[in-house]
Amino acid sequence: MEVRIGLTGPFPRSEAIVAATRDLDRGRTTAEAVEELYARTEAEVVALEQRLGFDAVTAGYLRWPDLFRPFAETWEGFTVGPLTRWFETNTFYRQPILHEPPVRVAGAIAKRLPPTTLAAPERAGVILPGPYTFAGLLENRSGETEEALVHRLGRLLAEETKELAGRGITTFQFTEPLLVDQPPERSIAEAVVAAYKSVQAAAGGASTVVWTYGADANLAFPLLDRLPVSAVGVDLAETDWEAIPAFPERRGLGLGIVDPRTTLVEDAGDIVRIVKGLQARRKISELWLGPGGSLDLLPWEPATRKLHVLPAARQALLHDHGGRP
Amino acid sequence: MTRELFPAQEIGSLMKPRWQIVAQHGDALDEKALADFRRANERTHFADGNPATAELLAGRSREAGAEAVRDLGALFALRLFETAGLARVYDGEARRIEMYEYPIRQMRGFQFQGHVRAFDNKYYLKATVTDEVRLERPYHVDEFDFVKAHAHAEPKLPITGPYTLADWSYNEHYLARQKGWKGPQVRRAAQREFVVDIAKRAIRPTLAALIEHGCKVIQIDEPAAGTHPDEADLVVEGFNAATEGLDAEFSMHICYSEYRDLLPTILDAKRCSQWAWEFANRDRDGRDGYEVLKALAEYGDTREVGLGVTDVHRDDIEPPELVADRIRRAVKYLGDPARIWVNPDCGLRTRSIEVATKKLESTVRGAAIARADFVNPRA
Repeated sequence: MEVRIGLTGPFPRSEAIVAATRDLDRGRTTAEAVEELYARTEAEVVALEQRLGFDAVTAGYLRWPDLFRPFAETWEGFTVGPLTRWFETNTFYRQPILHEPPVRVAGAIAKRLPPTTLAAPERAGVILPGPYTFAGLLENRSGETEEALVHRLGRLLAEETKELAGRGITTFQFTEPLLVDQPPERSIAEAVVAAYKSVQAAAGGASTVVWTYGADANLAFPLLDRLPVSAVGVDLAETDWEAIPAFPERRGLGLGIVDPRTTLVEDAGDIVRIVKGLQARRKISELWLGPGGSLDLLPWEPATRKLHVLPAARQALLHDHGGRP
Repeated sequence: MTRELFPAQEIGSLMKPRWQIVAQHGDALDEKALADFRRANERTHFADGNPATAELLAGRSREAGAEAVRDLGALFALRLFETAGLARVYDGEARRIEMYEYPIRQMRGFQFQGHVRAFDNKYYLKATVTDEVRLERPYHVDEFDFVKAHAHAEPKLPITGPYTLADWSYNEHYLARQKGWKGPQVRRAAQREFVVDIAKRAIRPTLAALIEHGCKVIQIDEPAAGTHPDEADLVVEGFNAATEGLDAEFSMHICYSEYRDLLPTILDAKRCSQWAWEFANRDRDGRDGYEVLKALAEYGDTREVGLGVTDVHRDDIEPPELVADRIRRAVKYLGDPARIWVNPDCGLRTRSIEVATKKLESTVRGAAIARADFVNPRA
């Protein structure tokens, strides 16, 4: 079993960025000064990811206002809508409003990625919205059904994946909290499977991960186990791991073991026990370990402190397997 | 004494006037701030005879002192509310910055961790509970004493509730006491301990001190209640623990939530005599924002309702006729007009003073229009 570790969403902004962006809004600093700070801080995040031995580095997506904004601002068919609560958190996103069937603009998302991503794509992980969550959380005034929209967004995200894979990116994560918060049924579930078929085909040899969080994933497992991707991730703070169903085939499983809702640091020994328990029921080809939800629910310092459990857990798992992966 | 139908109340914060912010920093009022100050005083005479007034008008804010400026800010809000015709008032939270950090700083057992982004470039400070919660000293007491001494209408104090304080903090201490992996059941048990401890050890003693100082009407703010509807029982446990054995009129303010998801659990809040909820925000685009009141009737709940009749996120002033229509619909769903108070959906600090004033005036006028349609069953 291979154990991969890394970020699964945005990293918190540093206190320096907090101060600088506030100052920017109040006209007390310049956009150039903030830009320089972003670049320095992204380099710090990359250094942290490398120091912790993460398999893919993300640079933390510090500039993205929310998961959808780069798409709502650059793809055709969208406007940026009202502030809307992000699941059961005290954070908010601006709801994309879709006025007509969306059209992808080639190269637009690449320009919004952290600059380090395309500078060293072979070690970079890209984090994108999943088609089901994207379709479900936007305000759909386009006239398309939800099912058609999931299909369409799946195709567009596949095109995006193809473009970025062509530029050397090797890991793609699709953020799908809605898959466990409101698991799709029937034709929409089929549309989700079809969307990820498109994505997987477009990824070439790159890894594709669907990451869920925020709710117990157990109800969604029948669908999650059908998704044709390298791994599906679940939030272990919300999911009763002892109820995760057995699965006979070898496949990748992601475990969200860093809970961003508490500053308490997780215990690597607990994680080893859980993985051993799961291995008795599932053939795990690849184990992905990461934060269970958006790590930016924490401030910078405690988030940094908590991430150290990821290499510790990997080390403990390798040790448990006699030093062999 | 019988209260007239549809009395009006405020629900919490008011935007701080610019002259207060400038003067609190010790800076001399500029022309615009001076003009605002004079205009407000012409309207409500809040600053007449106050020794700090002369200092501010003479450009000597520093000499006036920040505390005296805050006093003026509190008087400004009190008189604004009273002049608008409200029956219950507070000071517009003129001395408060926000509703989380200040209460937490009055307690022990917490460590502030840093900022978390709420959205865009907006952030809030979050603390971790690292030890058992203890109250340093009851808070809001001095500000209540000031309001009580100066209010002409009945004072009503808003205070952040235990569930919201716990939900907006990181739970480390109570979680660490639980053995093994911190899965959903363990987290929930730890959160229950945390909520109840804040309620018993910090909020209840504070409420008791306020009541001892003469506070008779207290609004417990639980804006986080709607974030996790499956934790409505924790909201209730916190409310009940905070108010146990205390004698005052308690209301619970919740906003921007799916109230049906909280029902019927929330109805177990024993000493809550009024639900102060937001409705106007959802009463648009052909949707009846007051229909949810039917659910209260379905569950047989007969408590008062603080009816949000003005939207605090829009500058449009609701005409009095619209306010009256909203009240009529609420009566239709609740049955008893004597149960209804009228208020803005939430604190008005998101609106300019001018807009807030007009919204309150419209609220009072709308209530007067609706009043003509009903006979007060308590009269």
